[in-house]
Amino acid sequence: MPELDWQFTLVLIANGVMIGLMYTLIALGFVLVYKATDAINFAQGEFVMFAAFIAAAAAYFGDLPFWICGLFALAGMTALGFGLERVVLRPLIGRPVVAVIMATIGVAVLLRGFATLAFGAGTRAIVMPIGDEPLFLGPIMLQPVQLVGAGVSLVFLAIFTWFFLCSRVGIAMRAVADSQQVAMAMGIDVRRYFALAWAMAGIVSALAGIVWGAMLGVDNQLALVGLKVFPVVILGGLDSVIGAVVGGLIVGVVESLAAGYLDPYVGGGTKDFAPYVLMILVLMIRPYGIFGRALIERI
Amino acid sequence: MFHRESGVFKTSYVADMAVYPLPIAKWTVAALAALFAVIVPLAMNEYYLSLLNLILIAVVGALGLNILVGYTGQISIGHGALMSVGAYTAANLVTRLDAPFWLALPAGGTMAATIGAVIGIPSLRIKGLYLAIATLAGQLIIEWTINHVSWISGGVQASIEVPRPTLFGAQLRTQAQFYVFLLFFAAVAIVATINLARSRIGRAFVAVRDQDIAAEIIGIDIFRYKLLAFAISSFYAGVTGVLYTYYLGIANYEQFQINVSIDYLAMIIIGGLGSVLGSIFGAIFVTLLPIVTRWMLEGLGGLILSPADLANIIPNLRLVIFGALIIIFLALEPEGLSRLWRNIVAYFRVWPFSY
Amino acid sequence: MKRIARGTLALAAASASLVCMIDRPAAQQKELVIGEQCDRTGATQLVGVILCPGIMDYIDLINSKGGVEGYRIRLDEIDHEYKVPPAIEAYERYKAQGAVSIMLYGTPQTQALTQKLNEDKIPGTSPGFGTSAAANGTRYPYVFPIAASYWSQGAAAIKFIKDKLGGNLEGKKIAYLYYDNPAGHEPMVILEDLRKTEKFELKNFAVPPPGVEMGAQVLDITQRFRPDFVISHLFGRSPSVAIKELKRAGYPLSKVVGLVWASAEADVQAAGGWSVAEGYHTIQFAGVGDDYPARHEIAAMYKAQGKEPPKEMQNTVYYNRGLLAAALHVEAVRNAIKARGGEKPSGEDVKKGFEAIHGLTLGGLVPPMELSASDHEGGGWVQIFQAKGGKFVKETDWFRAYPEVLAKQLKAE
Repeated sequence: MPELDWQFTLVLIANGVMIGLMYTLIALGFVLVYKATDAINFAQGEFVMFAAFIAAAAAYFGDLPFWICGLFALAGMTALGFGLERVVLRPLIGRPVVAVIMATIGVAVLLRGFATLAFGAGTRAIVMPIGDEPLFLGPIMLQPVQLVGAGVSLVFLAIFTWFFLCSRVGIAMRAVADSQQVAMAMGIDVRRYFALAWAMAGIVSALAGIVWGAMLGVDNQLALVGLKVFPVVILGGLDSVIGAVVGGLIVGVVESLAAGYLDPYVGGGTKDFAPYVLMILVLMIRPYGIFGRALIERI
Repeated sequence: MFHRESGVFKTSYVADMAVYPLPIAKWTVAALAALFAVIVPLAMNEYYLSLLNLILIAVVGALGLNILVGYTGQISIGHGALMSVGAYTAANLVTRLDAPFWLALPAGGTMAATIGAVIGIPSLRIKGLYLAIATLAGQLIIEWTINHVSWISGGVQASIEVPRPTLFGAQLRTQAQFYVFLLFFAAVAIVATINLARSRIGRAFVAVRDQDIAAEIIGIDIFRYKLLAFAISSFYAGVTGVLYTYYLGIANYEQFQINVSIDYLAMIIIGGLGSVLGSIFGAIFVTLLPIVTRWMLEGLGGLILSPADLANIIPNLRLVIFGALIIIFLALEPEGLSRLWRNIVAYFRVWPFSY
Repeated sequence: MKRIARGTLALAAASASLVCMIDRPAAQQKELVIGEQCDRTGATQLVGVILCPGIMDYIDLINSKGGVEGYRIRLDEIDHEYKVPPAIEAYERYKAQGAVSIMLYGTPQTQALTQKLNEDKIPGTSPGFGTSAAANGTRYPYVFPIAASYWSQGAAAIKFIKDKLGGNLEGKKIAYLYYDNPAGHEPMVILEDLRKTEKFELKNFAVPPPGVEMGAQVLDITQRFRPDFVISHLFGRSPSVAIKELKRAGYPLSKVVGLVWASAEADVQAAGGWSVAEGYHTIQFAGVGDDYPARHEIAAMYKAQGKEPPKEMQNTVYYNRGLLAAALHVEAVRNAIKARGGEKPSGEDVKKGFEAIHGLTLGGLVPPMELSASDHEGGGWVQIFQAKGGKFVKETDWFRAYPEVLAKQLKAE
């Protein structure tokens, strides 16, 4: 039985919460797309990577201040979102879901190759004007980058929850996701809302890219964080914004605790699949994730 | 244009239910079989035979995944790990017990089938993308197990060297010999899948995919058939892993990671879900595409750029082209290459008339 | 109908370009083919995009000086994205072109091709990766590590730490931070052996791939275990992440030593710059920096063509490793041609050429290694460089550590 070092556990949990909220930032883009268009975006990691590349390149080539680079990234990713929806997803409306998955995988591969072609293979840095020194809360060490990421996630949580519950546009988007035909019959322009959803996902990805790029450095491998998104969204529910946050927190904390406590006993590596095991257990009880909306199947 | 379907009369149910009811189809298949089994290994050079060998191994894997995803509608991203299960089972049997290949192959497949069925247990409750990610969990857990349990993996390096299979006393060495060996198993896999699709089990699979609630109502035990689909598909995956091990002479789990699972998923989606021809087309497409794009880029680019620049640009351009081609294919024909092929065949069926 | 017409047009275009691509076999006079595998788009692309230009530049240099004993070397590079099937296809292509030696890249690829190299009698090199057991030339006749294997690196790290901590490791704590794959596991057996004899406390911390996030492990190391030294054996992006995290956690980088793939300028830059990595020790199996005649010659070659030296040259760690690999191949080919009296050598001749290499130092770029029929590693020589004041500064000379321990392990394989 491992000795429960409370201080260490607290540190691990704090670390897990921080990193979990960073995961949430990426997961939000995924959830947005799924919630609005029923499309599963396997290229979410590549979106984040591409956004980070744009910001880093703007900083490097133009020597622009951080905020301008951020705007570049936002603009670029919105354009990418619009463009992608028009070129790739529009022809695939109504097709089986695996076709859309495959198309996004194709987009992921394309973005990876294109990013290296356009921006070169070396790792670039994004420098945030917030300093590098960690803040100390007792024994817990909080890194400023992660604090920013966590803050942004929570802000987005608030914005999106309000958006989907209260604003006209948000409700229209939910209507479109629910049933395209009825929405069209009600006079909602489905294509416009699809485009809007992807653009919003692009914006979220831009911010995620900036934060993750600042934390890790920007290069081709940044896209790998996209894989971490899946346990987060599955656990929380594919179409739930609050689920993305809760899922992120759970995955982050489980990973942290597994690395701290399970790894020494089994020779390491449990951190990778511990969240997945938890995810399967949760799914057996709630097949659509904790907050996901159950699909009502009719014959 | 090439044949008329009128004038072909069947006099028994058996003849009517044959896989290839038309005589022209039978002749075509016979000719293709002769071409692939006899002429190709004698006529082609080593390099092209090695490409064909890689494709043959991929065909077996793609068929397996198509049974699960195409016929039964359960998305799985764990295919790569199941291949490594088969590979390590066979490798251990061969190195520890000196098992011959006709024992190691089914053993590898069966082990993979068992583990695949275990991975499939969540399919009782979970559907769609949720199930896909649950299978991804299976992939990661299997990788971790092989990495950390040295009894399975043969030590820290996690790779086991396997001697080439011996057939009638002679060890397989050349690409041509391997080609015939692999062609046999690929043919068995193709025939088995065609017959599976036409059998009771195959029909149950399709029912589970299309309307599982209705299927359950009419008495099909969907849980049992889902598990069976996972098991059969994993058997194919295990066999693919064993064949790969024999071809390379070494079993190593790093060859079977998540990018392999996604590659196979790409094969069947691009090739066409739920069709044997689709699996074959998809396997050819995904295996050959990087190689062909590299040839073309080298040929064209060598005329303009220096080798150093070329070496930098080609790999990334290849990725861009690969991604773009996937998107274009899916936009053109979301149901895959097999549908494209069937469209062409249907067109020529009544050519030069239009209907 | 239009669709089909368009389709046939596309097919015609494709076949036209296919015609351009026909491989020219090396049947031309006085030309030898060396196959080179690289990863420019996969998990280790950070290494590949610098190492492979190093190889190409060296071969260009040799060709510009008249080739090897009059033979021109044709280098055929193929990117395998760190996957195994493309590596196999690349190997078959090299074989079809009559390659006399292969530069391998990547541990899984090396493993997959070991038997084939043996059967086809073509030597392949795996500097700084692959199986440590391949140092045994009698068991693996056609695989040449030609540089310190992971075992040698692990032993060297311990020796360096021992020297740094005053010559005695008894009771000291060493943390081993490693990438959770077979290559990461390799040094553990040597570390265990040395732990028993040197009596230090060893704890292993695994980082699962892809290793872009390791906060918990670093916290565990810095706050719970508090070692006297950390050995970092990571690949790809993870070394820079480790440097960053350790620095953020307040652990002095002068107490960290990285094995060969955690030790490049690229890692330091990715970690945020030299100021972040100040004090970081790195193990190198090739010389670091610009102060070598081969590099000056390559720069001169570029100037003579009116071009600037490529920016990859600035990443001296990986670039110089490319030079080392290429130089050893050239030397082996030279030995083979001489042994054949000027005739075109075969793969087997080049293998013997490798085993005859000794005394090739390229002004310090290459360690004083001696290859032989039984020792394909050359002795396991390494150097330690430290990140100081904006660049890597040489800290020790070429040394090798604990040869008896390594020999014992090799025998046990």
